[in-house]
Amino acid sequence: MDSLHDLGGKEGFGPIPIKSGDAGFSHEWERRMWALNLNLRGNTGSIDWFRHGLELMVPKDYITYAYFHKWCANILMLLIDAGYFTVEDAAKAAKNLRNQDPTGKAPSVTELLENYRIRNTDFTVTLDTLPRFALGDAVQTKRFAHSGHSRLPAYARNRQGKVITYHGAHLLADDGAKGNHLGEHLYTVSFAAPELWGLDADPRDTVTLELWESYFV
Amino acid sequence: MSTYDPEKAAQIHRDLHTHLPPDPALRVKTLESLVVERGLVQPEIVDAWVEAYSEHIGPKRGAQVVARAWTDPEFKARLMADASEAIKDFGFEGHATGHLKAIENTDTQHNLVVCTLCSCYPFSILGMSPAWYKSSEYRARAVREPRKVLAEFGVTLAKDVSVRAWDSTAEVRYIVIPQRPAGTEGWDQDRLAAIVSRNSMIGTDRDLDTGGE
Repeated sequence: MDSLHDLGGKEGFGPIPIKSGDAGFSHEWERRMWALNLNLRGNTGSIDWFRHGLELMVPKDYITYAYFHKWCANILMLLIDAGYFTVEDAAKAAKNLRNQDPTGKAPSVTELLENYRIRNTDFTVTLDTLPRFALGDAVQTKRFAHSGHSRLPAYARNRQGKVITYHGAHLLADDGAKGNHLGEHLYTVSFAAPELWGLDADPRDTVTLELWESYFV
Repeated sequence: MSTYDPEKAAQIHRDLHTHLPPDPALRVKTLESLVVERGLVQPEIVDAWVEAYSEHIGPKRGAQVVARAWTDPEFKARLMADASEAIKDFGFEGHATGHLKAIENTDTQHNLVVCTLCSCYPFSILGMSPAWYKSSEYRARAVREPRKVLAEFGVTLAKDVSVRAWDSTAEVRYIVIPQRPAGTEGWDQDRLAAIVSRNSMIGTDRDLDTGGE
């Protein structure tokens, strides 16, 4: 999808906010937003539907909202989409916020950390077909991506690169965003900087991307 | 159940934009109150997660992995071959490190990690990413002008050093293994881990500071 999320190589941005943006979290609400996210993944559909949801935000909001503000808007959308509550419920709740009394027993942080370790999800899939490309092969990316969720950034379309790693078959993001779980061969492809950015780019430099087989011509 | 309908999703986003006050702190509180009320989340678990990410899950984990790789060749070989497996020695596996790759800086190659399309990051070994990593500026510029970006971070590169920017577009995540600085011979792993900066494991720091020793 050609929305504002596809930022790689876009020009006009200023200095990186290195000092002001050193911390992972700078407000309590950001910590809570992250914690909520960790608890709601089971209610919001696939990881790629989550990512596609961010891409589908109001464009002006995507570019101006702080990072975790975007996540809040997206998770509200995903829960509303899944039928847990409505936009009206959210508007009403925002109006009459009340503090709930905590009930139930909190898990200890030790228990939580133990559960955390099983989150190292395996995205590989067994496929019967053989990979089309081998290490060192030249590959050409497609000129267009479809308007759904895709992980082929605009800057790497219709470009030639070289396969440097084969990862086996992984769940294809494009299908994941539709709720399907299909595997496809996944590669890391290296592109020479001048192939992506023109002759001004430093010929010593490279950019790598993880690309699925259907992204190639 | 999620509908996976992009038209519907975009419409909900527009409705939220129109009907919800834009203050993010209020919005997060709204979300928390709704999911607690609907029984989707236990309120106490939110506090526990906040603590886990403040006290336990952070870049000190990655630094320990790097320090061990510097001092233990057998571990390093396993780390370079399959980082997801190797970090299990420490119990550091978890969120977003199921397909972890370690990439090594050398005298002639510097590595820099970015996610131009969203904000992919190896959370279980580096913790929450810095805000700059998620900024539009970094996402836009790291792939196109990595040398200028590195200069902003104070990184100077020798003439014959190439730069490779790793744009993580799938579930493969990266940790950069910085070079061990000269003058640290004989240091134990704890002392070495203390000089491994978070940024060096993302690639925006290169020559580690040994504290002037």
